[in-house]
Amino acid sequence: MAAVTTTCGYCGVGCRLEALADGDRIVSISPALDGPANEGHTCIKGRFAHGFTRSPDRLRTPLIREDGELRPASWEQALERIVSELGRIKTAHGPDAIAGLASSRATNEDCYAMQRLMRAAIGTNNIDNCSRVCHSPTSFALRRSFGLSGATGSFTDIDRAEVALMIGVNPTQGHPVVGARIKQAALRGCRLITIDPRRIELADYGAIHLSPRAGTNAAVVLGLCHVIRRDGLVDQEFIAARTEGYESLAELLENCTPEATEEITGIPAADLEAAAHLYGEAASASLLWGLGVTEHKYGSEVVQLLCNLAMMTGKVGKPGSALLPLRGQNNVQGSSDMGALPDVYTSYRPVDDDEVAASFEAEWGVPLSRRKGLTIPQMFDAAIAGELKAMYVFGEDVAQTDPDTAHVAAALENLEFLVCQEIFENETTGFADVVLPASSFLEKEGTFTNAERRFQAVEAAIPPPGEARTDFEIIGEVSRRLGHEMGWESPWDALDEIARLTPQYGGVSRKRLGRDGLQWPVREDGTDSPILYDASFDRPGGRGHFAALPYKAPGDSADEEFPLILVTGRVLQHYNAGTMTRRTANVDLVDRDRLEIHPDDAARLWIGDGDRVSVRSRVGHIEIEAQVNTQIEPGHVFTSFHFPETRTNLLVGQSSDVNTSCPEYKVVAVDVRPFSENPSFEPALGTAG
Amino acid sequence: MSTVTVDGVEVEMEAGATLLDAAKAAGRWVPTLCFDERQAPFGACRVCLVGLADSPKPVPACTTPCRDGMEVETEQPAARRVAGAVVELALSELPGRPAAGTELARVAERLDVTEPRWPGAVHERRGDLRHPYLALQHELCISCGRCVRACDEVQGAFALTATGRGFEANIAAGLDAGFEDSTCVSCGACADTCPTDAITEIGLLPQLSEE
Repeated sequence: MAAVTTTCGYCGVGCRLEALADGDRIVSISPALDGPANEGHTCIKGRFAHGFTRSPDRLRTPLIREDGELRPASWEQALERIVSELGRIKTAHGPDAIAGLASSRATNEDCYAMQRLMRAAIGTNNIDNCSRVCHSPTSFALRRSFGLSGATGSFTDIDRAEVALMIGVNPTQGHPVVGARIKQAALRGCRLITIDPRRIELADYGAIHLSPRAGTNAAVVLGLCHVIRRDGLVDQEFIAARTEGYESLAELLENCTPEATEEITGIPAADLEAAAHLYGEAASASLLWGLGVTEHKYGSEVVQLLCNLAMMTGKVGKPGSALLPLRGQNNVQGSSDMGALPDVYTSYRPVDDDEVAASFEAEWGVPLSRRKGLTIPQMFDAAIAGELKAMYVFGEDVAQTDPDTAHVAAALENLEFLVCQEIFENETTGFADVVLPASSFLEKEGTFTNAERRFQAVEAAIPPPGEARTDFEIIGEVSRRLGHEMGWESPWDALDEIARLTPQYGGVSRKRLGRDGLQWPVREDGTDSPILYDASFDRPGGRGHFAALPYKAPGDSADEEFPLILVTGRVLQHYNAGTMTRRTANVDLVDRDRLEIHPDDAARLWIGDGDRVSVRSRVGHIEIEAQVNTQIEPGHVFTSFHFPETRTNLLVGQSSDVNTSCPEYKVVAVDVRPFSENPSFEPALGTAG
Repeated sequence: MSTVTVDGVEVEMEAGATLLDAAKAAGRWVPTLCFDERQAPFGACRVCLVGLADSPKPVPACTTPCRDGMEVETEQPAARRVAGAVVELALSELPGRPAAGTELARVAERLDVTEPRWPGAVHERRGDLRHPYLALQHELCISCGRCVRACDEVQGAFALTATGRGFEANIAAGLDAGFEDSTCVSCGACADTCPTDAITEIGLLPQLSEE
């Protein structure tokens, strides 16, 4: 038996794991005692949910479509088909008729190779990754307000914070190891403020819980800022020395009174005031958020408002005072850092910056396009319009996870050629012309970057099954056959290239990563950065930017026809599309998605616990089992999206973040009706008089 | 800061450090059973006893704070005799030898504890395999409390409880209805810390029986 120390491939916490393997099977996984993010702990997914790696339905050979059916093929046949089809389409329609998606579950080196494939071998900036649909608003806002696209501190700041404010995030379910850390901090005296339309578990350990109506986060944060300013809790010194634009924010805050906030959000004015005082008076306080903030029409603006809140109280760049966006997938941070985005190279440097583009041209020996490429939603629109002809989708089940499933299906249907690089057949491979069998995180090497900006090493514990290959090998081979030799022996050569071409990651190398990893920026001498902005922000003049952004109504809202607001999210036992966790014994614990509904709403609709219900939105319709509980606020319903048969995303429309086109998954007006032949709910006769 | 001498080796220790920390810093081994660096020191098992100059009795290394000038003897005969007896008592209640590779087996081996001198009642086998990942083997529990503390102090699920007294002392998930009917979040921290495999991964059980 052999053991390797590697990094978890589930959420963005980045637990270091010891994986013990016997031949080609994982025997067990335990947490590394010295893991900087997990400190000897991990969760049900990281520790137990590894059985999917040898699931009988793993893709073991390439598949190609013939006469409408996918059938097993040799690598030679599959690669030849890819090269001839992509070549034909590029010649006939130009390189911009082709688009690629990198994966936030894959390594930095895989993602870097994928963007190089699209940019250098194909010749287009049509490259994006699934952080588009989760934390792109965070990235946008942090760059606008502070300069760099990453958490300002580390998870250890939670241990040092007097107060932790959590908004739109449910760490005990989505990021269990950080959730446990927050809970322990709370038990030691850290005071928690939780803000969410669901009463999340940590609310029970907190000082105060605020339940805003879905889509009104901006009003909540502006209200908090109003009280902080009104009651003299601002850090004038910090504002004067370190920031710009406070005056226009102050003007905007004037009208954001607790009463006005209550009107919009439904949060009692006194609760808002108490929360503002708790945060404002603390000597140190950290802010954590998740997709409950970002996946909204104005998600990127709310992140900017959170940055305002931290800056006006001087709670950034200090131990215990960090802004920590909790990233959904293991490498959401890294896939974007690596330039797998249509407008930037590594470290968010614009594709139309001549100096940057020239440095990549020199390294890769090909001319590179200065024109921005398409984002994921734009790709689907272009496919429907007939402008985009081919896609190469790597490690993302867009047909299950992206919003407005019917629209995505129409787009995929309309493509002339679709390549999927996957570990399982899924909803998207159903549209594919070629499917390439790839590798899970336990079968490859390279690096992931966790939510603390920490590069950590990934080591292979087992080989890929059957004829499957690592993603890095596959992308390199496709590129070679398209005439662009990347010239790397292993992912570690790619990491060296990334460091060479990216000043922010200049000091990163396999050797330096060691067991603790490195938090970027990493200087040439290997010094890393657990805390950002301790002296100045990374913007012109070194000043943080206050954005005066008023509250605006969400893209969807309840009305007579669709009276409830659907919010979607994760449960502890499963992970996103469920591709991995559904193929483990985790399904013995949770085997379906359920619709959480408040008892008041359930009673009004004659819905009982366990009843099947129909859920209809403006764009789609699904059926699901109801779970009546008081976690969710009246007027809202909640469901996860882990099981493809639920097709939750049929309900989500086209509304998306104004700056980053991240879909508005969190506010969908729906109509819920009982759908059971034998409803368990027995309506009681009203008492007369 | 304090200066402590462990088996003749001088070490400088930070405020709040324990004698166990000092022994580690000096590169000396001290046996432990109820200790886990992820948890607050508990001081229950008395296996980490060490000799202390000018102290009439051995002291537990895991809960004794360092003070300037302390002189520690890790292999003091009285301390080791008690530690060995504690381990021997634990073994005497088990239905078989502890599985190789467990912390209990390793500590017993290093303390040269083999067959317990005291025959008598041993725990009857009582397994609980209802959870998809976590197996309970109650007969192997030595009541060190590590699983309960891992659940409380590391995860914060509060799903495990110490039950019974004396020979009947054991652990229970929830109200002894099993992990699934408790507040367990299946993180596995209990299996990770258990020194005897009383809680272990179901997937590892065949391996254990093969050995």
